[in-house]
Amino acid sequence: MRKFNKAVALLLASLFAVSAVAGCGKNNVSTSASASNSTSASASASASASTENKVEVEKFEGDFIFYDSVSTLATNWNPHTYQTSDDAYPRDEAHITSDLYSVIFNDALHPVEGKDPFTGYVIVPEMAAADPVDVTAQVKKDHPEFNIPESATTGYAWAVTLRDDLCFDDGTKITPDTFVESLKRLLDPKLLNYRAVDAYDGTYAIANAKNYALAGNGAFKSLTDLGFATVEDFIAAGHTEAELVIDINGFWGISTETGKGYVSAADETLIRDPAVQEGQDEDYVSGKYLWETYLQTGAPYASYQSQYVGMEVFEYEAGFPFEKVGLFKSGDNEITYVFNSSLDGFYLKAYALSCNWLVEPTLYDSCLKETETASGSVWSSTYNTSVETSRSYGPYKVSDYQLDKSIHFVKNDKWFGWTDGNHIYVDPEDGKTYPMFQTTEIDCQVVAEATTRKQMFLSGQLMNYGLQAEDFDQYRNSEYAHSTPAETVYFAIFNGYESVINDREAAADFDGANVDLQSMTLNSFRRAVAVTFDKDLFCATVSPARVGAFGLIGNTYIYDPETCAYYRDTPQAMQALCDFYSVDTSKYASLKDAVASITGYDPETAKTLYQQAYTEALEKGYITDADNDGKSDQTVTITYSISSDSDFMTKTINYMNEKIGEATVGTGYEGKIQIVKSAPCGNDWSNNIRNGIYDMVLGGWSGSAMDPFGLTELYTDPARAYDGKWFDATAVEMTVNVNGKDLTMTLKEWSDALNGTMVTKDGVDYNFGYGSADVETRLNILAKFEGVVLGTYDYIPMMNNGSMSLLSQQVYYVVEEYNPVLSRGGKQYLKYNYDDKEWKDYVAQQGGTLNY
Amino acid sequence: MLKYVIKRLFYMIIVFFIITLMCFVLIRMLPLPVLPPEDSHTKVLLMRREALGYNEPYLVQFWIFLKNIFTKFDWGLSEKLYFGREVWDIFSQKLPATMLVNFYSIILSIPFGIIIGIIAALKKNTWVDYTLSTVTMVVISVPSFVYAFLIQYIFCYKLKWFPFLMKSGTDWFSPAMFVSMIPPIMALSFGTIASFTRTTRAELTEVLTSEFMLLARTKGLTKAQATVRHALRNCAVVIVPSIFGEFIGILGGAIIIEKIFAVPGVGGLTLNAITGLDYNIFMLSTCFYTAVGLLAGIVVDISYGFIDPRIRMGSRK
Repeated sequence: MRKFNKAVALLLASLFAVSAVAGCGKNNVSTSASASNSTSASASASASASTENKVEVEKFEGDFIFYDSVSTLATNWNPHTYQTSDDAYPRDEAHITSDLYSVIFNDALHPVEGKDPFTGYVIVPEMAAADPVDVTAQVKKDHPEFNIPESATTGYAWAVTLRDDLCFDDGTKITPDTFVESLKRLLDPKLLNYRAVDAYDGTYAIANAKNYALAGNGAFKSLTDLGFATVEDFIAAGHTEAELVIDINGFWGISTETGKGYVSAADETLIRDPAVQEGQDEDYVSGKYLWETYLQTGAPYASYQSQYVGMEVFEYEAGFPFEKVGLFKSGDNEITYVFNSSLDGFYLKAYALSCNWLVEPTLYDSCLKETETASGSVWSSTYNTSVETSRSYGPYKVSDYQLDKSIHFVKNDKWFGWTDGNHIYVDPEDGKTYPMFQTTEIDCQVVAEATTRKQMFLSGQLMNYGLQAEDFDQYRNSEYAHSTPAETVYFAIFNGYESVINDREAAADFDGANVDLQSMTLNSFRRAVAVTFDKDLFCATVSPARVGAFGLIGNTYIYDPETCAYYRDTPQAMQALCDFYSVDTSKYASLKDAVASITGYDPETAKTLYQQAYTEALEKGYITDADNDGKSDQTVTITYSISSDSDFMTKTINYMNEKIGEATVGTGYEGKIQIVKSAPCGNDWSNNIRNGIYDMVLGGWSGSAMDPFGLTELYTDPARAYDGKWFDATAVEMTVNVNGKDLTMTLKEWSDALNGTMVTKDGVDYNFGYGSADVETRLNILAKFEGVVLGTYDYIPMMNNGSMSLLSQQVYYVVEEYNPVLSRGGKQYLKYNYDDKEWKDYVAQQGGTLNY
Repeated sequence: MLKYVIKRLFYMIIVFFIITLMCFVLIRMLPLPVLPPEDSHTKVLLMRREALGYNEPYLVQFWIFLKNIFTKFDWGLSEKLYFGREVWDIFSQKLPATMLVNFYSIILSIPFGIIIGIIAALKKNTWVDYTLSTVTMVVISVPSFVYAFLIQYIFCYKLKWFPFLMKSGTDWFSPAMFVSMIPPIMALSFGTIASFTRTTRAELTEVLTSEFMLLARTKGLTKAQATVRHALRNCAVVIVPSIFGEFIGILGGAIIIEKIFAVPGVGGLTLNAITGLDYNIFMLSTCFYTAVGLLAGIVVDISYGFIDPRIRMGSRK
């Protein structure tokens, strides 16, 4: 009898195991049409008829290995802790993860009205079984802990039904619990995960995620945030002076040894200010010193009290339970997201309903290591740092990894997409249907030297090669060359930190008889520099893959993701440029033609402005002309803050010196302006500009390609802006006509309102965020904002980032036109002319070296 | 002899500690990477720094450093490059590649260098000698990474004899791995061969004019017999110690060669640790190179006794 029981138990266990494995690997017939898009090497080469919807899907036969190279290999692709773009390679380039919803090109299977195939995109369910369902009303009623506003009826809570065949590459099922447990670990306050901030901060923050992640932590709240205008108001409300803290990071650009950005106004602990040379005044400052010297009532900067003085508020209660965080299992195969703000459309599905923090909890826990320290425990993790500790739930998985050497990916045969019939597309050229992800393996090697990469590429051993400056003459017109624009705009940023410049000039070792720094702070001087360079010519000279930039916002930003419309193509954006560069639009047939005429170069105006700056500088005593020859006795010496020396730096500085030299001929600054390199300062190059230590840099930033409006924060947040120390966005006003009525607010307020924050002005609430205001109004505000910031001449647009690369003859893109969302389709749409064996034969036939 | 070796090892340990202490203090005096305030990651890094005693006096920090090594063999965690991972684990993964490439390089260099040196010495003041001496000087003067690029271009790109990069994997002794190591080995060997050639030629030229060489010939030995049996053995007193010196030199030169040929070794790790301000990795690398250098010194000293019995190690007289 016991034997019989054992046998039955064994049989049941076997059946259970078989059904579990089968459930994981099989296609989901109920949710998708089976299109038999197997890509196995042994499959037939002929087209085969699919089953239910009669879509004929081509099959690929052979090995299609994508040989890639990087300068730095990923060392930690743990979605909770990775820090660099190098570490994102397995996710972004090798697709070891999937999304709930994915963006794909429009084609015959996914048509978009008014768009030719592969010129737009659609969002389709990926790990989700269907579109998300708005459950705001229900969640608001059942879960008051999420604090959904009383007036809100939509957009805050969304239920997502998951596919029932999701699993990791080892077969472990992915269920709603996996989502919840993954987020719990991401936000775990004891782990202090680097990526936790992605879930709890910003536009797509999950409700209460911050309260859980920062449980027990204090934060600085300014007097303004607390509802006070001055310290006197604060005291009058019953608070004490002992409660006052100073935002030393915002006000002085320093932080304590423990990384805190604020200290008590009574704290006498000295903190080193790296912006001041040791031994000079204010090389060390304390909270008490800043308070008494600058911020207390009657002190020179007392007007900034409301911004930089406040108190520490413990708004994140200790022990906040995870059960109150806005992600919960709401059905057998359903999860519900609750957000801090109302979301919908593209942003909801493409960005907010993210699950890039998904981990396999059991393995994750086994990879954690606790180290006891004097001040508590430190946790580290080896999850996703090796083959053994890596888990995939995307098309590929890690099969081999050697630290700093190579990483290899093979198909993840447990991925639902191989068999669900959804991952197919219709080629716009031949009209046939193909499966996505033709690549069977991805092999990525570390190749540090560009010359080695080039030789390997020409020998057929790499799929692409990023062109270097010296390659452009030979390859820029190659049919295999592809130009890829990027979001970043690089500006020439000049030092405007007058107090620091004055201090530098007052230093004992400063050669005031021959050198001048103050001229560069003059508005006329900067305006002159702004029209000294032909931006496209500049790029062609120093970095041919890039193109000239003329505005604050780059060429690739899309203001309406639903229609894929570019901001720079809008009438508002074009008019802003024409206004800034004083283009007479009446002379041109269209605004587009007027914008096309802008080069950024106006030698006559430049000369006039340089002479005007010279006169002003003489009047202000910045420079002298002792011999009355009409030329400055001092040379305006502008120190370029370089991170490390390079050919690019040399070319840039030489070009600028040459053009400034040409533009100043006949002015008081003729031969008297010189840009020189600083000592290499590594990652401090930007801080050196912000702190006024050096005088110039080509710097910039990029944001989300779909959100040009978010960029405004970079110019109004003093902690992020390059000119945050000398430009106050709360003091500059801007007027925009909104619905026929002029509305005046500060730049900071416009930026906040544009990005979804409710701003109250004269008793009226304004919110111009996505979904809260019509797109035309938002564009009007953004274009006006762009004009105002350009008008400060703190940021002189120089070049739009971009790159150019050669693509191997072994492969080709389905679409040649670059798309900011999908690029050229990546590995999802990449097609092969030859399989691996054929390719080797082809290369051998060409003599081992290919001609591009 | 044993007493001498023990004494030298004892001194070596003292010197090692002094050098390590100096490096440790100098490294800890360097400014730490600036951490963004109010960043959740900052807190982790600061807690780690506190655990490692960054806020304590340098000698206390050094004590914690030594204590962790001797009690747990804990060299600390990587702060930047391999965030949160054990430094020793990373280092030990990369050690085999460096040691193998360097070992093969020295093995290749010894016979070539000595043979060419002998030829130059025997053909002294002939066109052969002049040619070899000139080439030797040129090769010594050019840095090894220049050869690396040339080798890569000629043998890997043009002739297709070898792969561009060292093979991935840990099958260190497989034929494919060896073939892939040949370009970096060649790049590292050229300078070493030239150095051995110069040393051998200089020593042999002097020894060949010695009176005992004349005696050997008058005893009836051929020139070859006299050279190999007597002259070379005398030269070895200088040549053999230089082998160890060259080995240390190759280790240093391998840093850039490793980068060019994608050798996953400790040379590149050291370079990255310096540029990435990952001090724990840099400290371990420093200790490694110091230890190898000191051990090589002892081996050189001991080798004298074996090469030339007239040299008595530890003898008071």
